[in-house]
Amino acid sequence: MPRHLLDGAELYSGATIPGMADDRRAQWLRGVLDLCVLAELERGESYGYGVARALEELGLGPVPGGTLYPVLGRLERAELIRSRWVDSAAGPPRKYYAVTAEGTALLARERAEWAAFADRVGTALAVGAGR
Amino acid sequence: MTGAEDWLAGLVRALHRENVDGWHCDQVLAEVRQHLGESGEDPFAAFGAPEQYARVVAGELAGDGGPPSVSPPLLAVEGVAKSFRRHRVLDGVDLRVAAGEVAAVVGPNGAGKSTLLRICAGLESPDAGRVTVHGGLGYCPQQPALVDLLRADEHFDLVGAGRGMGRAEARRAGAELAARLDWVPDRRPVGELSGGTRQKLNVVLAALGDPAVLLLDEPYQGFDGESFLDFWEQVWHWRDEGRAVVVVTHRPEQLKRVDAVLDLGRQRVGAGERSR
Repeated sequence: MPRHLLDGAELYSGATIPGMADDRRAQWLRGVLDLCVLAELERGESYGYGVARALEELGLGPVPGGTLYPVLGRLERAELIRSRWVDSAAGPPRKYYAVTAEGTALLARERAEWAAFADRVGTALAVGAGR
Repeated sequence: MTGAEDWLAGLVRALHRENVDGWHCDQVLAEVRQHLGESGEDPFAAFGAPEQYARVVAGELAGDGGPPSVSPPLLAVEGVAKSFRRHRVLDGVDLRVAAGEVAAVVGPNGAGKSTLLRICAGLESPDAGRVTVHGGLGYCPQQPALVDLLRADEHFDLVGAGRGMGRAEARRAGAELAARLDWVPDRRPVGELSGGTRQKLNVVLAALGDPAVLLLDEPYQGFDGESFLDFWEQVWHWRDEGRAVVVVTHRPEQLKRVDAVLDLGRQRVGAGERSR
């Protein structure tokens, strides 16, 4: 399920990507952005821009709205998160998202999968001390 | 921020060109507007060109079709038959409506559309067959059942209380639903309201408390063209929320978009037939 959630999303659409390194990081993020969004919402109910800022603070780079909101939409239609509009003291109402029980369950599974995968990549990339 | 406003206007036009319906369009727009307002970002940098973002949104919504639902139906009508005197009105009617589906019941006058809904609502017993409902049920009868001397919000209190809602909650939910039908309830007794407005109240009362199953019997009589469209937008919204909705209608405009059409005029042929 998490793989198709990101299919067709144009990561960094509209933004210019200088250099190969940034392009590669964008490719990495493409595979896990939905999980990162899910995890961020598991830490607490939040709204689009709040999630974008949190991910940036985590060092995942700026995630443009054109990438983030389609992911939120897909997660919501897959019923991994749900939303509600909340009046904000300053400015227009915000659409807040929260993880559903299904979302939490999926995140728990995928978190373990990712850890195992990252571990294997780490082993593959390790400096050849053993051999 | 005029650059942002231009961009947003471009997005609205592009979403319309992509056939994104009004409700989704409003949702997308409100969220993008909020984001741009708070982040102060350049819309082109954040979302790309309006046409490009509209295509992403539309693709997203179209991709939603997915595999047909295998979830158990919230409303199941099995072999329902009903006769009045010696006239058989319903003869072995089947209908299954799952969460997130809209079924339209069509057919000429006297085909038993209202009778079927009354049976589904439990107001009448079938001669044969059975009806199973999972979750709460909201029923909007063809003729509004209102108390003329009470105000709209007092109706919200009454019906809300019957569905376990507090007064404040019922009034807030009622006002919210009314607003979706472009109606702001005032303090007049409902006996003084126009036919169309009474009908809107009728719809709001059926939907109060977010029942899982909604039965709507030609609920838009007396609505003007605008209200008619508002009503259908609300139906699609209920579908998106995962409700099972049954609408009796004699208007063909929306049949292309519903999930199932039950034609009581040619029951045997069209019963429960998938329209898409």
